[in-house]
Amino acid sequence: MMHAADNPLLETEGLTKVYSGATRPALDGLDLRVETGSIFGLLGPNGAGKTTLISLLCTLLRPTSGQVRVLGRDVVKQANEVRRRIGLVPQDIALYPSLTARENLRYFARALRIPRSRIEARVRECLDLVGLLDCDNQRISTYSGGMKRRANLAVGILHEPEILFLDEPTVGIDAQSRNLILERLAELNQSGMSLLYTTHYMEEAQQLCDEIAVIDAGRVIAQGSPTGLIKGAADCENLEDLFLSLTGKQLRD
Amino acid sequence: MLLAHVKKELLLLSRDRGGLLVLFVMPMMLVLVLSLIQDNLFRASGETATRALFVNQDKGPWGEELAQQLEATGALELVTKSADKKVDQSTARQLVFRGDFQFAIIVPENFSTRVGLAAERSVKAAFHEQQDMIVPGQLKIFFDPTLRGVYRTAVTNALARGVTGLEIARKSAALGRQLPIELKHSLEKQFGPDEVNSVQLELPQLSGDWARQTLIELHEESSYPAKYTTLPTSVQQNVPAWTLFGMFFIVIPLAGTLIRERQEGTMTRLMTMPVSNGSLLLGKILAYLLICLIQAVLMLMVGKFILPLLGTPVLEIGSAPLALFFVAVSAALAACGYGILVGVVVRSYEQASTFGAVSVVIAAALGGVMVPVYVMPRAMQDLSVISPLGWGLDAFLEIFIRDGDLVSVMPRIAALGGFFILCLFCALLVSRRWRRGV
Repeated sequence: MMHAADNPLLETEGLTKVYSGATRPALDGLDLRVETGSIFGLLGPNGAGKTTLISLLCTLLRPTSGQVRVLGRDVVKQANEVRRRIGLVPQDIALYPSLTARENLRYFARALRIPRSRIEARVRECLDLVGLLDCDNQRISTYSGGMKRRANLAVGILHEPEILFLDEPTVGIDAQSRNLILERLAELNQSGMSLLYTTHYMEEAQQLCDEIAVIDAGRVIAQGSPTGLIKGAADCENLEDLFLSLTGKQLRD
Repeated sequence: MLLAHVKKELLLLSRDRGGLLVLFVMPMMLVLVLSLIQDNLFRASGETATRALFVNQDKGPWGEELAQQLEATGALELVTKSADKKVDQSTARQLVFRGDFQFAIIVPENFSTRVGLAAERSVKAAFHEQQDMIVPGQLKIFFDPTLRGVYRTAVTNALARGVTGLEIARKSAALGRQLPIELKHSLEKQFGPDEVNSVQLELPQLSGDWARQTLIELHEESSYPAKYTTLPTSVQQNVPAWTLFGMFFIVIPLAGTLIRERQEGTMTRLMTMPVSNGSLLLGKILAYLLICLIQAVLMLMVGKFILPLLGTPVLEIGSAPLALFFVAVSAALAACGYGILVGVVVRSYEQASTFGAVSVVIAAALGGVMVPVYVMPRAMQDLSVISPLGWGLDAFLEIFIRDGDLVSVMPRIAALGGFFILCLFCALLVSRRWRRGV
């Protein structure tokens, strides 16, 4: 049984998700506990169940069985309460390309129920944070890949969520934009926001995360601080070595 | 290399079941429905029987004979009863005005007397080359105000054929009676009563006008109440029909936005926010409802102000603006509801644009936008009741042509509203399935 009194950031117990028509579960009795205030890295090969786990934590999917609590709330029974307190930066650039960055942020601010009187100030703060204030009236479709990723991040933090889920937020962008995003994520964490972060860039996870979990075939196969896990494994100099030793070198579909 | 491109394209298509459905099934449906619907239109001048009310008030035999002649043409199927009761003239007028029948033929009381007298006089006049005053028997025809010109002409022609048959029969009978009398008069006048057999006969000559003399006059009357003077015109028919057609094309952009939101991930993002499916869909509906209403106003204004400048009659919009507003809103809601449903169910913009467009064309065809419902074969007429465009068009025509009000169009408004609610309910069910991730 999970104990809500502990109040971890999030907790799953026996979490299973089977998609209709699938031959094996995407998540297979996954147990995970993440503490408040951390930057938590979720690592795993393709098809390991990372995106499914984030979707469940964000109330996008319902579990087939097991329990999920985020910020002490059940994601199925108290979905709306969870949604008010979480933020998501999806892997896709989930913005309206024919609207400007400012128009996008204004719309999502209304959807997030930010009081009207605060919207303009908050939009400005977020655009400034991701370095897009100078080109806020440009349509998203005219942005470069890095600018789109930064605008994507800005929407995720508009309502100052207690926990921010980031699904590969730096994929396919140049070093400058990646650096800016990682710096901003560290600042957000210092200001009290917890982050749960998936990535295939191991050096990024090693640099940023306080704690990581490696999942494979829908189960957690290792969890701890990056340095602790590397030290505990034989012949592993970095997180990439550890990752390959845990998940193997065979190709994943 | 070219072959590789072709093979790749065919492979991609074969994996896209929805695309294939749209590519093959929808055009087949279109061909099927439009061909069936137009079948009777093309045969209207031919042999397909058209139902007509026939009210025979004649006290002599020729009204009945006229009925037989009309049915013998094969073009008309005469109906004399409605709800198991014999129809009289005023009921026939009401039934036609209400749109239950497209026209009614009324045979007056003195029809046989008038036709018999006219036949005798026309024959006599022909022998004596006189222009006698001939009063033809008169048939009244009530036409539905919404009946289109082409169809009206086809029906009138069929009626004229039946009438001609009766006229020839009556004239022949009159000629058979009059000819011996005229012959005797002529011979006696020339030779005297005793010498008729010894002299070369000079037979009386018939004037050529005899055959063309009209015995029965077709008198067309509108079935409107006298107080209502608006005459049906092409503008009255076409403007509301194509306005509805245009409004329903909102399906494509509306479905397109839903699909793009799913594809671009904005829908996923919104679903992690404290936003209900209902408010998301309602937001779209209100925006597109406004667009639909602007469309409707603009198109009606074209009928009212621009078409007359190009020489057509002015669009008369009836005398019930409130009813017109509610019809426009309910039709727009029905279009938006359908757009939402298409957007939720189909997977790509290509599918939405093809499926949306073809399904609207089919619904328009079924609903009488292209070809009036009464011209369709009976089976298609039965099917036409499922078309929301048909409900909308009926409601517009009720207001524009039949002087309808809010009460008389309420059943159609309710049907359009019901269709909107049904579409929205189905769309919500499907979108909840997304959220559950099944």
